[in-house]
Amino acid sequence: MNIIKGFATTFKHLREESITLQYPEQVRPFQERFKGRHHLRRYDNGLEKCIGCSLCSAACPADAIWVEAAENNDEQRFSPGERYAKTYEINMLRCIFCGYCEDACPTQAIELGHEHQMSFTDRRDSIFTKEMLIDAVPEGGQPTPQKVEAGAFDRAIPDMPDPK
Amino acid sequence: MSDNMVKIIIDDVEYEVPAGMNVVDAAKWHASNDIPVFCYHPKMEPVGMCRMCLVEMGTLQRNPETGAVMTDEDGNPLVRWFPKLQTACTQVATDGMVFRTNTQAVVDARENVLEFLLTSHPLDCPICDKGGECPLQNLTMAHGPGESRMNFSDKMKLDKHVPLGDLIFLDEERCIQCGRCVRFQDELVGDDVLAFHERGRTLQIITNSDPGFDTYFSGNTTDICPVGALTTADFRFGARPWELTEVPSIDPHDAAGSNISLSVRLDRDFGGRAMIKRVMPRQNEYVNELWISDKARFGHHFTRSEDRLQKPVVDGKDSDWATAISTIAGLLEGADGDIAAIAGSGMSNEDLFALRSLVTANGGKRLGAWPTTHTGADLVAAVGVGVGTNLSDLGAGDAVLIVASDLEEEVPIWRLRLKGAHDRGAYVVVANARKTRMDDFASATPRYQAGKAAHWLDGIDKADPEVAKALKAAQNLVIVAGAEGLTLDGSRALMQSAANFLIDSGHYGKANNGLMSPLPGPNGMGLHYVGFTPEVTADIAQNPPKVLIVAQAEILSDDPYARAWLDKVETIISLNLFPDAVADMAAIALPIQSFAERDGTFTNGERRVQRFYTAQGPMGDALPAWQALSRISEHMGQGKAKASAAAVMVMMSNELPAFEGMRYRELSRTERQFPDISGDDMYYGGTAYQNKGGLGKVIPTTAEQGETPARADVSLPPVLEVGKGQFVVLPATRLYNLESTFRPSTLVHPRIMSPFVEVNAADAARLDINNGDVVEVKLPDVSVRVRASVNGGAPEGALVLPRHLTDDPTPMTVAVGEIAKV
Repeated sequence: MNIIKGFATTFKHLREESITLQYPEQVRPFQERFKGRHHLRRYDNGLEKCIGCSLCSAACPADAIWVEAAENNDEQRFSPGERYAKTYEINMLRCIFCGYCEDACPTQAIELGHEHQMSFTDRRDSIFTKEMLIDAVPEGGQPTPQKVEAGAFDRAIPDMPDPK
Repeated sequence: MSDNMVKIIIDDVEYEVPAGMNVVDAAKWHASNDIPVFCYHPKMEPVGMCRMCLVEMGTLQRNPETGAVMTDEDGNPLVRWFPKLQTACTQVATDGMVFRTNTQAVVDARENVLEFLLTSHPLDCPICDKGGECPLQNLTMAHGPGESRMNFSDKMKLDKHVPLGDLIFLDEERCIQCGRCVRFQDELVGDDVLAFHERGRTLQIITNSDPGFDTYFSGNTTDICPVGALTTADFRFGARPWELTEVPSIDPHDAAGSNISLSVRLDRDFGGRAMIKRVMPRQNEYVNELWISDKARFGHHFTRSEDRLQKPVVDGKDSDWATAISTIAGLLEGADGDIAAIAGSGMSNEDLFALRSLVTANGGKRLGAWPTTHTGADLVAAVGVGVGTNLSDLGAGDAVLIVASDLEEEVPIWRLRLKGAHDRGAYVVVANARKTRMDDFASATPRYQAGKAAHWLDGIDKADPEVAKALKAAQNLVIVAGAEGLTLDGSRALMQSAANFLIDSGHYGKANNGLMSPLPGPNGMGLHYVGFTPEVTADIAQNPPKVLIVAQAEILSDDPYARAWLDKVETIISLNLFPDAVADMAAIALPIQSFAERDGTFTNGERRVQRFYTAQGPMGDALPAWQALSRISEHMGQGKAKASAAAVMVMMSNELPAFEGMRYRELSRTERQFPDISGDDMYYGGTAYQNKGGLGKVIPTTAEQGETPARADVSLPPVLEVGKGQFVVLPATRLYNLESTFRPSTLVHPRIMSPFVEVNAADAARLDINNGDVVEVKLPDVSVRVRASVNGGAPEGALVLPRHLTDDPTPMTVAVGEIAKV
């Protein structure tokens, strides 16, 4: 009797649709909250959102982020305000994709996207530079550094709604 | 002290504190109670402007007849409370004071002050250089309301990038108008170049000097700024404070030996090596208190200059250490004992000892010090200021004599501290042939003829009897004797006169009494203690040796007359940071490490041996000088090379009596210092005040070791013969100059004076020279074209010619020359 019971279960499952996907030809759809490779965002006019404040790096539990900042001005503007990230590097071997950097960012410049195919054969390739992380310039925007109207972008932190 | 103690009660606990102590300080020092402050700073007079230190205050009720403290039924003392909160910073401790710092009223007051301050403070902490070590941030976290009732969009919008001079930027939005910077410049420095402009909501800090913020101490205002309103051009956005590693070090520019902290971080542009991002003061109340000069703060770029010598050069070609060492060994063996060395004061004590060992082991005897402007370090060692000296202790009843030195340009920290002594009532005498900045903080300013400082001091009883009498009668007397306008013999005579004066009046062998000298460089006293003297250098110039080792002495950049005798030296071995003209002449030039790349010790002008630690990644193949030298010794079979600077110091402390007991562990001892400014509270801004690297240890004077100093006759140098149409040319020091250790700090270049000569107005009128004219100053074998400055800085018959402002050297010591308009 027991053997019939056992085979019944087997046949029941045989009838079910297979859940195995033929990766990489087939890709499973991601949840919106999935945390993949980081993106550095830009404003619509092309300015970088990142202001080089290093808070992501401070929040990072794996010490994966390296930021070096420099000064900005209206002649050569990378980001609003006085400070921008001259160097921005993430070591993807160290990163644990926890998303703390995203939480720490005061300008929502860094966001974890859905890209996850990041294999490399050389350890040095694990360091993603600013050029690799930053989004393309949106349509209608200018690449950075931009020469901008004096005084137009002198605040680093965008105006926030009253946080109360 | 104990008879001056009073009892005060803070939060129901009784403490015994010195009468008259500021209550904020007393609470912190004696009760470990951090009363929050913004405008108050323990080094400055309280103003009670920020209202952050509000506390409940009262006095004990006493029985009017018996004077006993009245109590309630439970035995608790009865207190007569003030109706309103009081600012703790404007109260001084007196007997029977009662404070409460943790009641609801106090908590509410702090919340309200912070809420109000934040109504117009921008929320740009993420990009602010102060963010992370900001008193406003810290106190808001500790005492702030958490939520504001104000509308964020109503904040003031002001200019965020206002340059105050070339070195400091002001962010008007961030300023909370505590006035610390204004008061620092006004009270402590005496350069009142900052001011408040307008009133009320529109009040701003402005600079009223031209060039802006014209002072040698401007960087200190960024440290004491409780917000990020003042930032330095050097550090601006260099790193976040929490990313920096603080490395204790010593200012390599002058004899004060200011304790500094090098904030380092790895840097991509510097090849991933540790790089100095900023220089901050490190608290040492005996040496520099909490302050450093702008030269110490902004003059660190030479350590990573691209012009640094990076590889050993043998016969004009880049080589390696093995080749260089074996070549040098061969040269030294072939010299037959005719070896001498000249060392500059950038060399650490360990370097000097290794050099001494190498030279003496190979039969050499002559060890010369560079530059040959100042001498008399032996007298400083005999009757120098005693152990425990603190210039901050000098005050009413004490006296200071500054002679033949432009202290502001030579050792700015001493000038700052002696200005404080003057403010506290000390009798400060500034004797010079010309007007110097220190005159503004002097009680008397006797003048002597150019070049006759020693004559004046030797005959002070006749020349200025009143000054002499006041100096002799002083409780404590410190003499700071420089060498401006003197030859080497003149410097010797002046130092001897100063020593005689101190011996006669008995002002030696105890704390706060004795002789100091603004010897050039950080280790002038170290040169003496290891056995290098400028007199020997003069002898070397007279009788050049076969092999001469020149270590960190830029002889040709300093002295226009040196080439003549250097040419006669058969072989020169150069050790230097930079490929200077001596290195060009040398058979072998060795690259050595600067103070930032290795550890070691310097002996400052007050004979304090202080440690500096490794901060920066090394440049090229450079080695510490002691290591390079002791490897040569090892190669020649003269003992194994030491493994560390500490090991060299151990050997040195065994061989040289002056360094007895100077083990590194001794030198890195620290103690709790007043004001207790470093630590976790960070009210006073900046993270780098805390002294973790040690306070150093003073070498006692021979007078303190029981040797009675002997008076010696002063052999006055011959008076200069000045012919008709000739002038006495006084070389002067400028703090900002083109010396190789300062030239790479391009940030400060706008502040380096273009070459000039100071001419007396009467002389200028006679020669038809106007302010700004190009003139030619002709000296024996040297002539320079500079601009004339007729600003009252030169006495009649004399020209003041600052050194190191031109590419070619001008004379180091006083000379006779002519001037003509071009």
